[in-house]
Amino acid sequence: MSITRHVSNDGKELTIAVHGKFDFGLVQEFRRAYSSVGDEKPTVYIDLRETEYLDSSALGMLLNMRKALSDGVKGIHIINSRPEVKNILDISRFDKLFTIE
Amino acid sequence: MLKPSQQIVIDIFQDGSEFAISVVEKLQRLRVARRVRVKNLSDWRSDLNHVHPTLVVTSELVPQLLSPLRCPQQLLILPRASDLESSLRWHGDVLSWPEKTGVLLQRIDLMANSFNTARQLNAVRESLIWHTQRVEREHELIEHIFRNALSRNFTHYEHIRTLLTPASKFNGDLCLITPGPLGNLYILMADFTGHGLAPATGALPLSQAFFAMADRGVSVSEMVVEFNYRLHRLLPSDMFCACFLMELSASGKRLTYWNGGMPPALVFGPDGMVKHRLRAQHMALGVLSVDDFDSQVATISTRTDDTIAMYTDGVIEMLSQRDEFLGMDAFEEIIQTYPGTANFDRLVAELENFRGSQPLQDDVSLAILECCPTGLEPPEIGPELQALPFVFSTVLDAEDLQQIDVVASILGILGRLPALHAHRTTIYLLLAEVFNNALEHGLLGLDSRMKNDPEGFAYYYQLRADRLQALTSGSISIEVCFEQRRNYLKFTVRNTGLPWARAELASLDKTSLPYGRGLDLLQQLACDLNWSDEGREVSFGYYLTSS
Repeated sequence: MSITRHVSNDGKELTIAVHGKFDFGLVQEFRRAYSSVGDEKPTVYIDLRETEYLDSSALGMLLNMRKALSDGVKGIHIINSRPEVKNILDISRFDKLFTIE
Repeated sequence: MLKPSQQIVIDIFQDGSEFAISVVEKLQRLRVARRVRVKNLSDWRSDLNHVHPTLVVTSELVPQLLSPLRCPQQLLILPRASDLESSLRWHGDVLSWPEKTGVLLQRIDLMANSFNTARQLNAVRESLIWHTQRVEREHELIEHIFRNALSRNFTHYEHIRTLLTPASKFNGDLCLITPGPLGNLYILMADFTGHGLAPATGALPLSQAFFAMADRGVSVSEMVVEFNYRLHRLLPSDMFCACFLMELSASGKRLTYWNGGMPPALVFGPDGMVKHRLRAQHMALGVLSVDDFDSQVATISTRTDDTIAMYTDGVIEMLSQRDEFLGMDAFEEIIQTYPGTANFDRLVAELENFRGSQPLQDDVSLAILECCPTGLEPPEIGPELQALPFVFSTVLDAEDLQQIDVVASILGILGRLPALHAHRTTIYLLLAEVFNNALEHGLLGLDSRMKNDPEGFAYYYQLRADRLQALTSGSISIEVCFEQRRNYLKFTVRNTGLPWARAELASLDKTSLPYGRGLDLLQQLACDLNWSDEGREVSFGYYLTSS
């Protein structure tokens, strides 16, 4: 279970947590995790607290998600990044495209 | 053994006089016991702790007989003619000789009886003392273990106030606070069924799991799954644990919680008005099996001036002097009157006031937390150990590349470097970029532009997997060199495949393009980046000291 997906009771929040290694090995699994967001226009939270490793393919996957969801969700937040991961997101200017908490 | 049909052993102390000898002879004839042990009076002392019923046979009352007896259940036999006045100064029982056989036997029997009873009472008393001491010692031991188990409980966190009052010596309530690795804060408020030692023992595994998982920054939902799993296995079926677990993000703006069987936690604003009631949506921990357990969490947004009150039912079910329950409404009223942590002492005083001298029926726990930015820094890593300088290299052929997770394996080797921990994610990324570049473009001939749309992106990686499986020739070599003095790692990755031109990407605005980002990251995070042999060889350096 490299990806866990969790919808809040009211359907207004979708949390996707990535564990361990976040890279192209999760392409399909990650897409599935956001494929049905429901009608509530939820806020999506990508929880990276347990993401130990990632590479540029993970960044590509996040961008693809953003493209796919754009109007269907209220916003996409990347939360709980470890300092190193946060640094990588910053360098890639993801703060312009996502809400990084 | 209170009264055997016949006394087994009787000890007789005699003074050697004719009187005594004749009395002893008579007693032996009468078989007053199965065994009569005859001893010299000179061996008798008043402080002897006799183990058998004892007769003292003497022709005259010597002074040593008149001290207080350690064991007063002894029968003194004197000649009838002797001074009865002074015999009253003997602290045991007295019989004047001769006496009718029936009376004699009855008196000996009585004495033996009271001796045995006294002895048994003593034994019970001693065993009670021993048990009491043992229980005390065990309580001390358990208190010690609890203290240690909870020693890292972060109750001194500056934005929380707690009131933890057990109804008896051990607390069946548990309030745990600990920072996570991301500056976040975890709080657990739990209430085991019952109170006292038995429920308190459940606190040990729960607190251990809580602290260990919080250190790893595990999510609330995964934590409760683990807690439930442990308690379900551990607790007897009539015992369970109501639990409120929450995590406050480092910013103080996001509160994630899971509530199983606890009264609603209250989130209120600076005016004391309740904004949210975080009600229980689940069964208590330890009730449901892993398959039936629901770890669904909820999240609310909080403001810096919000406060959250968590408490056990001992608070709202607190009894007043007139035997009235405090109740939810009255409790909310008190909170509204004394909002925030600054008023905590007055809030507690108000609760105390309500209870008066009424004893606590249940453990009472209350915690009030400010939802402000936690200001908790990630823990620092301890002093760095010395590392050896080294070089290692590996050449991976097609079969190796198909089977080995190369980047992770190299990170595994480098993991022995003491300073690596804080850099492992970055080094992984850099090496993954260079390695994947060599593999995907050099050996597999893939074109990144394919990744431009989501379908192509997935297709690209499908193609990568297919072509890698079909690969029969070519290799990638990797060299890692660690210069200990500069704390510098140098990586060189070489492939035997196609040349690769990187210039084509340089001019694009890549902010929202799903590919081409690797190069930027390399340029920014690595140093001494160097391409040679038409892109077949790439090297870069990395200082483990940089932050």
